[in-house]
Amino acid sequence: MTQLHHSAGEQQQRASHAALASLLNLTLLPGFAFIWLLLNLKKCSQDGIDRYHTVLGLKLNLIAAVALLVVTGLMILAGGLGSAWTWVYVITYFTMVHSLFILAAVWALVRAWAGQKLTVR
Amino acid sequence: MQYQSQSVAKLYFLAAMGLFAGQILFGIILGLQYVMGDFLFPEIPFNVARMVHTNLLIVWLLFGFMGASYYLVPEESGRELYSPKLAVLMFWVFLVAGALTILGYLFVPYSGLAQMTGNGILPTMGREFLEQPTITKLGIVVVALAFLYNVGMTVLTGRKTVVTIVLMTGLVGLAVFFLFSFYNPDNLVKDKYFWWWVVHLWVEGVWELILASILAFVLIKTTGVDREVIEKWLYIIIAMTLITGIIGTGHHYYWIGTPSYWQWWGSIFSALEPIPFFMLTLFAFNTINKRKREHPNKAAVLWAMGTAVMAFLGAGVWGFLHTLSPVNYYTHGSQITAAHGHMAFYGAYVMVVLTIMSYAIPLMRGQQAKSNRMQVMEMWSFWLMTVSMVFITLFLTGAGILQVYLQRYSDAPQAFMVVQEKISLFYWMREAAGLVFLVGVVLFILSFFLPQEEKNMQAQPA
Repeated sequence: MTQLHHSAGEQQQRASHAALASLLNLTLLPGFAFIWLLLNLKKCSQDGIDRYHTVLGLKLNLIAAVALLVVTGLMILAGGLGSAWTWVYVITYFTMVHSLFILAAVWALVRAWAGQKLTVR
Repeated sequence: MQYQSQSVAKLYFLAAMGLFAGQILFGIILGLQYVMGDFLFPEIPFNVARMVHTNLLIVWLLFGFMGASYYLVPEESGRELYSPKLAVLMFWVFLVAGALTILGYLFVPYSGLAQMTGNGILPTMGREFLEQPTITKLGIVVVALAFLYNVGMTVLTGRKTVVTIVLMTGLVGLAVFFLFSFYNPDNLVKDKYFWWWVVHLWVEGVWELILASILAFVLIKTTGVDREVIEKWLYIIIAMTLITGIIGTGHHYYWIGTPSYWQWWGSIFSALEPIPFFMLTLFAFNTINKRKREHPNKAAVLWAMGTAVMAFLGAGVWGFLHTLSPVNYYTHGSQITAAHGHMAFYGAYVMVVLTIMSYAIPLMRGQQAKSNRMQVMEMWSFWLMTVSMVFITLFLTGAGILQVYLQRYSDAPQAFMVVQEKISLFYWMREAAGLVFLVGVVLFILSFFLPQEEKNMQAQPA
């Protein structure tokens, strides 16, 4: 019984670490925090909250990479660096979408702290 | 409502609502003047409309802060307000002084208003946001002192909580820093230097303390989360606010004649300014997620959550966007500043006042929450105002980037008015979003005044 409780606590802690890594990858430590997420995945339980938040973090960051880097890259390719309109779209889009990903990661973090999945009870 | 004297807040909230509607009306006029320069000229020239728009914002937010304080301080202190009569008297003094000032702006040429109000004796007029005649500024000081005395005595003679201590710190700071509006040196650099001590140290300093304490109060009441947990968050948030915000004033000191070290100090510390707003979001999300009960006033909880998110976006992200000195070199005073200003004021201060109104007004009427129908209307007002403000910000950001590029960055910079013509599409879209915002304001106000369905209302427990 004690062992099970301890295990659940550990899962919750790993879930919190995964959510924090996801947030850090979107903010202060892009790349490095993604490696942390991948390393976290190895330590996760088969079907616990830790795996859920690690996989969620990986998915969120991969989608963010596409939405931020690929889409803005395409905008620049299409419009060219010398066009004022390229910068209008790129800066406005990047700032707004990046902020939304950060907010999603913050929500995931507080859910992980509470040992809950992303969806509201 | 636990104490009878809390009801004085209702007067302040009503005035705040009326002035908020006025502010948005002038915003609509102003937005139209950006694209139709002669609109309402000469009756309401652009400079007058702008002055009324910004001054009404400041005045109604002050009414909101005072109303919030009169509501929450007795409840937190566990006693009646020290002097409800003084609160009512000061309400009328402030309202009459404010109304006369706005009427003065509208019906008397500004130079004539300065002469009429004796500005020559102690000149303080003519500076952005501090356009009020000196006599009005003196009136604000009197009202602020009476207000501080009233809530201060209530706090000192009652229970002290972290919420009231943080709130009082913010309110005292608000009054103290306003005194710099009376310092008006001839040297333009010194003038601007100390002008920011009012403007910046208000909105990126002491007002954040007021914001955090009001939000903490509403979250304590609506979520049932332990006060101790919320208070710890509050301490960290206000510490980060002051650590980053005070020296962050330096981001206003780039290239205005101040020493060049401000480029570094301003850039570094103001780059850290999003941290307290980020923590505010984390705090609100965490508190709401760990709520111990479902409060019947769902609209108030929505406003509280919205405040944290929009303050982070408007003040945090959009502030960071142009705060580093090499970036600000190009963006200073462009429409990017306007984008940041709109979303930051809305997210941080407008929304927190609407949050406490949403929470407190039903309680002052003896209900825990409005009827379901009126709450739905209020939530519509939330989404209309919030989404339209996001679009206003995005359109102004687009306008600002284009403006900076064409006017300041390009190899062949174009003249200001030429560029204004080229970004007029953004101004039109901003105007459309502004009209949607106005609909949101009207719905918000109506949700308090339309008849409530008795059967759905929950009576306040005795």
